[in-house]
Amino acid sequence: MTTPVKIVMIEDDHGHARLIEKNIRRANISNAIEHFADGTSALEHLFSEAVLTNGPLLILLDLNLPDMSGTDILEKIKSDARLRRAPVVILTTTDDKAEIQRCYDLGCNVYITKPVEYESFSEAIRQLGLFLSVIQAPEID
Amino acid sequence: MSWEIRENLTAFSRFLRTASLGRSLLGLLSLALVLLLAVNLATFVMIGRTAEFNETIDRNVRVQVAARDVLTRLVDAETGQRGYLLTGRQQFLTIHDEAVRELPMVMQELDDLTASDPEVRERVDRLRNLARERLGVMDASITLARSGRAGDAVQIVRDGRGKELMDAMRLEIDAIDTIESERFASRRQQSEWSARATIGVNAMAGILVLMLAGIVAWIVLRYLREMQAAHYELDRINANLENEVRDRTGDLIRANEEVQRFAYIVSHDLRAPLVNVMGYTSELEQAGKVIDRQMAKVETEAPDLMERDALVAVREDVPEAIGFIRASTEKMDRLINAILKLSRDGRRVLSSEPINMTAMVGKIADSVNHQTEAAGAEVEVAELPGLTGDRLSLEQVFSNMIDNAVKYLDPKRPGRIRIEGQDLADGMVEYRIIDNGRGISDRDHERIFELFRRSGKQDQPGEGLGLAFVKNSIRRMGGDIAVESRLGEGSTFILKFPKRLYVSENGTAS
Repeated sequence: MTTPVKIVMIEDDHGHARLIEKNIRRANISNAIEHFADGTSALEHLFSEAVLTNGPLLILLDLNLPDMSGTDILEKIKSDARLRRAPVVILTTTDDKAEIQRCYDLGCNVYITKPVEYESFSEAIRQLGLFLSVIQAPEID
Repeated sequence: MSWEIRENLTAFSRFLRTASLGRSLLGLLSLALVLLLAVNLATFVMIGRTAEFNETIDRNVRVQVAARDVLTRLVDAETGQRGYLLTGRQQFLTIHDEAVRELPMVMQELDDLTASDPEVRERVDRLRNLARERLGVMDASITLARSGRAGDAVQIVRDGRGKELMDAMRLEIDAIDTIESERFASRRQQSEWSARATIGVNAMAGILVLMLAGIVAWIVLRYLREMQAAHYELDRINANLENEVRDRTGDLIRANEEVQRFAYIVSHDLRAPLVNVMGYTSELEQAGKVIDRQMAKVETEAPDLMERDALVAVREDVPEAIGFIRASTEKMDRLINAILKLSRDGRRVLSSEPINMTAMVGKIADSVNHQTEAAGAEVEVAELPGLTGDRLSLEQVFSNMIDNAVKYLDPKRPGRIRIEGQDLADGMVEYRIIDNGRGISDRDHERIFELFRRSGKQDQPGEGLGLAFVKNSIRRMGGDIAVESRLGEGSTFILKFPKRLYVSENGTAS
């Protein structure tokens, strides 16, 4: 018996958040999505007892946040014994090679650049949907 | 020739007008030289005077001696006469005769010595007359004695006329003696005075020369000290300058980094809203399609309900608006990407390696082969001088330049593109990309290197990035780019690079 994967989206731009959500829904993914617009509240939530003990997670993370850098959050997640198994998808406008490399080094699972050409963006999100439906997010003990 | 002299004179007068060490030294040396000449002259005069003085003294003495000689002869003659009168012996007469014979010679000498001396001459004349008269008196007595009238002869002596004459002559001779002695004394005084004057002039000149030497030494010393001070000052200024240059360079590097960071952040933050604009435009499009489908359904099932305006709005206006929004956003995205690329390129760490430029440019030319063949154009790469630089940047630069040359060929004539190069004297290498393409109007020669600016007919794809990127890149490597072009005839781009690129710690050319 597996608990459904919960999606945590950390994205300061509400427009982007809504677009991502819409596209995920269009890809027929109905997992619960929790949205946080800043790093502090997101970390607070992720490191709360309720979340840590409550089922598998998938994290969508934007790198440009107002209060901290997405890579800081990624680092914190990947250095936590329980959260580190949660897959992290980086969604950002940056296509800087050095930054992509750094994210992979820190342990992100997928890196998606938000393109302006909407079609490719939708495509990416759809693929993310496929990815989400295929992966079995490991249980967090 | 005269022009040359005039030129020299002008230069000399300019030299004299300008206060300088040289002028001071020249002045002082001239003064010293004049002083030495004066001393020389004074000495000359003195020597002349001394010689004259010696001669005069000589004559004085000779006049005195000659005058005495005259008297001596007369005394001798008198002695002989008296002896003869007393004794009647012939040998006394011999003494007398000898003295009388010598007298004219002695007299002549005195005459010669005093010929140009009227004062003494007068006395000599009187002396001569007295002597003649005295001899006459003597002769008369001797003649009487010879003829046996000894008594008459002695009577003549007894008359005392002979003694009178002798006394008168003694007076004259004393007078001559005195005159000559006085002259001698005055000459000696003069001579002593002029000797003293000469010594004085010499001493003064010596002191002056010493003073001049002192002044010259002082001036030279002061000059040397000033030079030393100026030297220190220069060193200090140089040191300051170096610090200042370092500071300024540091400021510039920081400013440059700031600009690059700024460009990077701006382009990222600008992209975020664009994603929204684009995304929601798509959402609107989707919504439009849904409405369109709904309208199509209404149209077939209840045509009466259908408003014509609504149909136009949904089927024409909305798609058109969406099309423009999308085209604009896409363009904006490309521009932002261009800024991002430039900013990234500016932050890329350069490397430096020896590069065979002929091979590298040849390879780039080959890569555009299919395009040039289709257009009937030809790219010729001459033997190029190599350099040590950043391979990636150079590849990008030449790629861009050759692409541009191919892109802007004139379709009216077969395209000819030539790349040649040469080493320059100042440690730089120059490459020229020469085409016979459509050319660039004069007023655009600067503009084409600016970001997003393009020249001529806008019939080719592009955002106006290539040359801006090329210029940025070349500048980073310490080089420069320029263009020579005539509209409708072709263009030549001249690229200069340092023969060897030195990369500093922060990855920029140094």
